[in-house]
Amino acid sequence: MDGMVQAPARAAGVAVGIRGLRKAFGGPAVLQGIDLDIPAGQFLAVVGRSGCGKSTLLRLIAGLEQPGGGSLTLRAGQDLLAPAAAVRLMFQEPRLLPWSSIGGNVEVGLPRGLAAAERAARARAALAEVGLAERAAEWPAVLSGGQKQRVALARALVSRPRLLALDEPLGALDALTRIGMQALVEAVWRAEGFTAVLVTHDVGEAVALADRVILLEQGRVAMDVPIDLPRPRRHGDAALAALEARILDRLLAAER
Amino acid sequence: MSGAVLAPAGLAAPAAGRLGPAWRGLVRAALPWLLPALLLLAWQAGSMAGWIAEEVLPAPSAVLAAGWELARSGELLRNIEVSTWRALTGFAIGGGLGLGFGVLTGLSRLGERLLDSSVQMLRNIPHLALIPLVILWFGIDEAAKLFLVALGSFFPVYVNTMHGVRSVDPQLVEMGRAYGMDAPTLFRRIVLPGALPSVFVGLRYGLGIMWLTLIVAETIAANSGIGYMAMHAREFMLVDVVVFSILVYALLGKLADSLARLLERLCLSWNPAYRSA
Ligand SMILES: Nc1ncnc2c1ncn2[C@@H]1O[C@H](COP(=O)(O)OP(=O)(O)OP(=O)(O)O)[C@@H](O)[C@H]1O
Ligand SMILES: [Mg+2]
Repeated sequence: MDGMVQAPARAAGVAVGIRGLRKAFGGPAVLQGIDLDIPAGQFLAVVGRSGCGKSTLLRLIAGLEQPGGGSLTLRAGQDLLAPAAAVRLMFQEPRLLPWSSIGGNVEVGLPRGLAAAERAARARAALAEVGLAERAAEWPAVLSGGQKQRVALARALVSRPRLLALDEPLGALDALTRIGMQALVEAVWRAEGFTAVLVTHDVGEAVALADRVILLEQGRVAMDVPIDLPRPRRHGDAALAALEARILDRLLAAER
Repeated sequence: MSGAVLAPAGLAAPAAGRLGPAWRGLVRAALPWLLPALLLLAWQAGSMAGWIAEEVLPAPSAVLAAGWELARSGELLRNIEVSTWRALTGFAIGGGLGLGFGVLTGLSRLGERLLDSSVQMLRNIPHLALIPLVILWFGIDEAAKLFLVALGSFFPVYVNTMHGVRSVDPQLVEMGRAYGMDAPTLFRRIVLPGALPSVFVGLRYGLGIMWLTLIVAETIAANSGIGYMAMHAREFMLVDVVVFSILVYALLGKLADSLARLLERLCLSWNPAYRSA
């Protein structure tokens, strides 16, 4: 993997520029004018109540939905990029193809037109990154939930995306597996330098992982909190707990 | 019952101490054949004792002898060939069309609106009821049999393919889109494999209908094939040949189903439900 560092493939993150972004599904607008700048390489966490439009925002960034108004651009330096080329999305469920081997599932993340040998080699390398290199030939059905989600992470990373969008990918995991996955996501993010946007219900997870946490409320960015704490961060750190309490207070206040 | 069958292996304990598992495997493999074998024995004994009249049901040995005679003259093989060709060709046409239309209506709302209700209406006509009409159209030509077999096997393949395509996990389809798959790739890597278990259900059901249709068609309107062989023998009161023809049909049907199951197991080996044995 290190051999690829000097190749142009070492993708630095993209910067995201969002201006007055609106989206409605027939009824009242879900997003009613989002303004947000995500610098290249930043780790952004998005929190908010269920149904506030977090997934919708992420799907807009990933190009799976079209904006109802406003603009959304992805930039690397001066170049404008299409979401399909730059963004990889990780879902709450692993969404692996049960009829493809684990290696074959990771290859889904690769661009087309590569030789078979190279595809397999890159898939194996991505699997090694998530600690599953030996399992490439097996069916996904034999994996545990946490392992499946690691395969999904490898699939998202194998094309070296410049933005990784994560929609509560750890929501269904048990506490211990979750902490392990958080460390893994943080490690690959630091190693690869992509921009990360993590949607999560767990404010503790958001402040532990992100450079910055935004809170969505009534279709707008209601709170924007930088997390300027050194990494690696320790669970139960007092400064983290204080930030978490501040965001939670705001979330609960909106609830009333 | 299994206790009684297993008892001999258990009684031979001192000698068969090491053979135990092998014996048990053998007994387990033989168990499904026990009842048919007993029936056959009873049938043979009944015939030999004169309880079963020969012109009603000839003894198994007589049936076997008739079969041997047919095989030696080459008549058997020729008729099996003709029937198998009809079955497979008709099934390829009907099943192929069913697969194609099933995918079409499964994928496209327009295709469904255009085709599905017409197909469902046709499905309610028992295809064997068309035999008089088919004879009027095609005589007792090959085309008549092919038409009936194709028609009969079309519907189960069509219905199950459409259902299979419809029930492909939309989350996987969305994943494929998000990962940049174009429409043909999406179909090949997600829709088709996702629909396959259901397609196989239709395939196996269609195979059953294929034989049933062919039996009826060959019995009523043919001058070759196994059904014809049986009808021809009936005219000469050759009951043993009639019974033998029925057995050949049963064997061919079983063979087709076994092949389909094998194919199913090979294609669906990713699915834990099909991986056993
Ligand atoms: N494809 C769609 N069609 C219609 N309505 C939709 C669609 N997608 C989202 N919505 C609506 O938009 C709103 C926001 O949905 P979204 O999935 O973005 O919420 P969320 O913040 O991710 O919630 P959760 O935390 O529960 O995942 C919801 O009211 C939802 O019903
Ligand atoms: Mg969501």
